[in-house]
Amino acid sequence: MTSATPFDLIVIGSGPAGQKAAIQGAKAGKQVALIEQTREVGGACVYQGTIPSKTLRESALQMVRFLQATEVFEFRMRDDVKITNLMTRLDRVVRAHGKFMKDQLTRNGIDCFHGRAGFVSDHEVRIQKTDGTATFVTAPIIVVATGSRPRVPDNIPIDHEHILDSDSILSLVYLPKSLTVLGGGVIASEYASIFALLGVHVTLVDTADRPLKFLDQELTDEFCEAFEKTGGHYRGGQKIGSVQWDGCSKVTTVLESGETLESEKVLVALGRVSNLEHLNLQATGIQPTTRGLIPVNHHCQTTVRHIYAVGDVIGPPSLASCSMEQGRRAVCHALGLNSGVAPEHIPMGIYTIPEMSSVGLSEQEATAKYGGATVGRARFHEIARGQISGMTHGLLKMIADPKGEQLLGIHIVGEGATELIHIGQMGLLHNMPIDRFIDNIFNFPTLAETYRVAALDIAKQRQH
Amino acid sequence: MVHSTITPLAQEERETLRSFIADQLGRGNLDLPLLPVVANRVLLLSSDPDADASKLSSLIQQDQALAGQIIRIANSPAYAPRTPIVSLQQAITWLGLTMLAGLAFSVSVQSGVFHTTGYEKEVRNLWRHALATGLFGKEIARRIRHNVENAFLCGLLHTIGKPAILHLLAQSPDKSAEPFSWITIESLFEEFHITAGSKLAAVWQLPDPVQETIRYYQDDQYHQAISPTKGAMITCLAHHLASVMLGNSVHDENSLLTLPVVQDLNFYPEDMTALLELRETVRASVECFLP
Ligand SMILES: Cc1cc2nc3c(=O)[nH]c(=O)nc-3n(C[C@H](O)[C@H](O)[C@H](O)COP(=O)(O)OP(=O)(O)OC[C@H]3O[C@@H](n4cnc5c(N)ncnc54)[C@H](O)[C@@H]3O)c2cc1C
Repeated sequence: MTSATPFDLIVIGSGPAGQKAAIQGAKAGKQVALIEQTREVGGACVYQGTIPSKTLRESALQMVRFLQATEVFEFRMRDDVKITNLMTRLDRVVRAHGKFMKDQLTRNGIDCFHGRAGFVSDHEVRIQKTDGTATFVTAPIIVVATGSRPRVPDNIPIDHEHILDSDSILSLVYLPKSLTVLGGGVIASEYASIFALLGVHVTLVDTADRPLKFLDQELTDEFCEAFEKTGGHYRGGQKIGSVQWDGCSKVTTVLESGETLESEKVLVALGRVSNLEHLNLQATGIQPTTRGLIPVNHHCQTTVRHIYAVGDVIGPPSLASCSMEQGRRAVCHALGLNSGVAPEHIPMGIYTIPEMSSVGLSEQEATAKYGGATVGRARFHEIARGQISGMTHGLLKMIADPKGEQLLGIHIVGEGATELIHIGQMGLLHNMPIDRFIDNIFNFPTLAETYRVAALDIAKQRQH
Repeated sequence: MVHSTITPLAQEERETLRSFIADQLGRGNLDLPLLPVVANRVLLLSSDPDADASKLSSLIQQDQALAGQIIRIANSPAYAPRTPIVSLQQAITWLGLTMLAGLAFSVSVQSGVFHTTGYEKEVRNLWRHALATGLFGKEIARRIRHNVENAFLCGLLHTIGKPAILHLLAQSPDKSAEPFSWITIESLFEEFHITAGSKLAAVWQLPDPVQETIRYYQDDQYHQAISPTKGAMITCLAHHLASVMLGNSVHDENSLLTLPVVQDLNFYPEDMTALLELRETVRASVECFLP
């Protein structure tokens, strides 16, 4: 017989989803237990995902800007810029972020448990410690926020030494001469462009004819052009046959077409799987989907009504931004609190080099819904700010209804795209007519001006 | 490790040797030649144009003296790498095997061979332990997604001070007809191997994480290490696993679970079980190198 400590709310996993769920519970005056299996709180977002990849990207960009400045100001940078310096910076940023998260949880009076959680029943959870002992907690509401990890395809022997995944790529201590990246999704494209910028010979391989197929083709075309310019190559329409380390100095990737690619390292970024294996879900009656996700309704409620699941563990969009909101909303729903209007227009930010971002309808979606679409374009190099900053790549694409009056979507590629998108997001939220972008004044010179230029482009196409 | 009391005679012998080692360390007189068997293999492989490239590559990755010297020379101005060489794999890729074969050849010729008369078995055990630590280090690093190449090099070289001391003793003017007792030597290792290893690593300009590991790999020290690769912490556990596997530890597989380093690495019992399951693979690799 175990004696379980009672709480009002148990949250499993301290990533963005779990954290916001726990904080929402604490703010509502509830006694919250947050269980995390790693020693640090913050989840994949802090240690393997968003924060490290964006820090590495920023360091790479800073290095390149600095290199460009050396030409203008006639000084030389050391040849031996060590990746360890980039990684040490990354370690510092990650630690600082982790500490910030921990402080936030402590401030809110949340009881943090270090251990691996598994259900004993639909109300009770066992927390296994590293020393083999266990404690038990119980609550009327439980939120599962155990996140995801890289998928390991059967035919690829990932050894985290020569054949890496998106977690182990962060452990590199020197830049390889060449890198084959398998996958054409967000993580694959982001890392491919970062390493290409750092001077690594990168080949991105995927089955699709272009990377990031879910994005507007004009955006991905710009991305591919910039990627090729930094020395990267995209090999579309390719299936992977096998990947093998030669035991000496290179990894050979054999494509089903029979072609072989050789590189010093390989990065495998072929999707993610939910972390369910330690949860003992059978004890709750929850049945995962065939894709290994926890099925939920639009309140993030599982088939067992007092158990919620949020974040990556329930599948796409698998973004830190959405995971946080799901965590907050799930707890509001469970506690009968008003969670506000559900977000309608979720922006998508992709931190490739250059960045890409989109919100609202694509040209195809608008055409399907309204029988047509008017598209306005503004190129960064035509804008004063773009010229000043030497931006050769950059496009803002504005989607309006067939009459060219109503804003329906915004798609941007170019530096600052993930920030710039929010102007469009606010416009969509407020059902803004296209002319508002023309009638209003933006700071000059800024990239925000692209909104005005694209709106003018739409206005020009109106038939009077 | 053998724990026995030291007799008065041994105590006297120890004192003489202590001051000799302290003096030599003070002067920076440190070196580390290859084991005769390793030197032979290098000579054979590097003179055979048909030799299998992977054999040389694995030989370089199995011997501490050869590995350390290769890293040292690869980073020297003669080879002028664009970025520092921080792992053996990197050295192999950047220099190419032909150049590496030449390099290994000159290392084995220049550094001479290790004189082990009287302690063949013990010396073999030192080497086996170093290699086993490197191999366990790799597996630990794989599990926590830390750099595997770095973990290996840190493990392989963490006790490089021990053979360096042995080599010093072989040159001691007080050498009697009888070899020094191994108990005496072990007590000298305890006292000096970290200083000797650190000095040698500094002279050889080994990568920072390796130098840090040599200084801080022990249970009560690894907290002081700051390298993001966690080489010292990984090596601490790898060292214990190697000792248990080779039967020279005060721990057994169960008591390993209670080590603070296991908790600090966030290893759950199932992680440790998985690691321990690899011991036969590690043992086979070690046996293959030094039967
Ligand atoms: C390389 C990369 C780049 C990314 N970039 C972005 C980006 O730019 N923008 C963006 O919005 N998103 C990005 N993401 C996605 C984002 O990181 C995830 O969507 C987000 O982390 C999901 O949050 P989560 O809370 O659901 O899960 P996680 O962050 O995965 O956290 C889950 C936590 O649960 C813990 N856990 C698992 N099982 C148990 C158990 N049984 N007991 C106790 N604890 C357990 C885990 O240890 C982990 O700490 C990126 C992801 C990756 C991999």
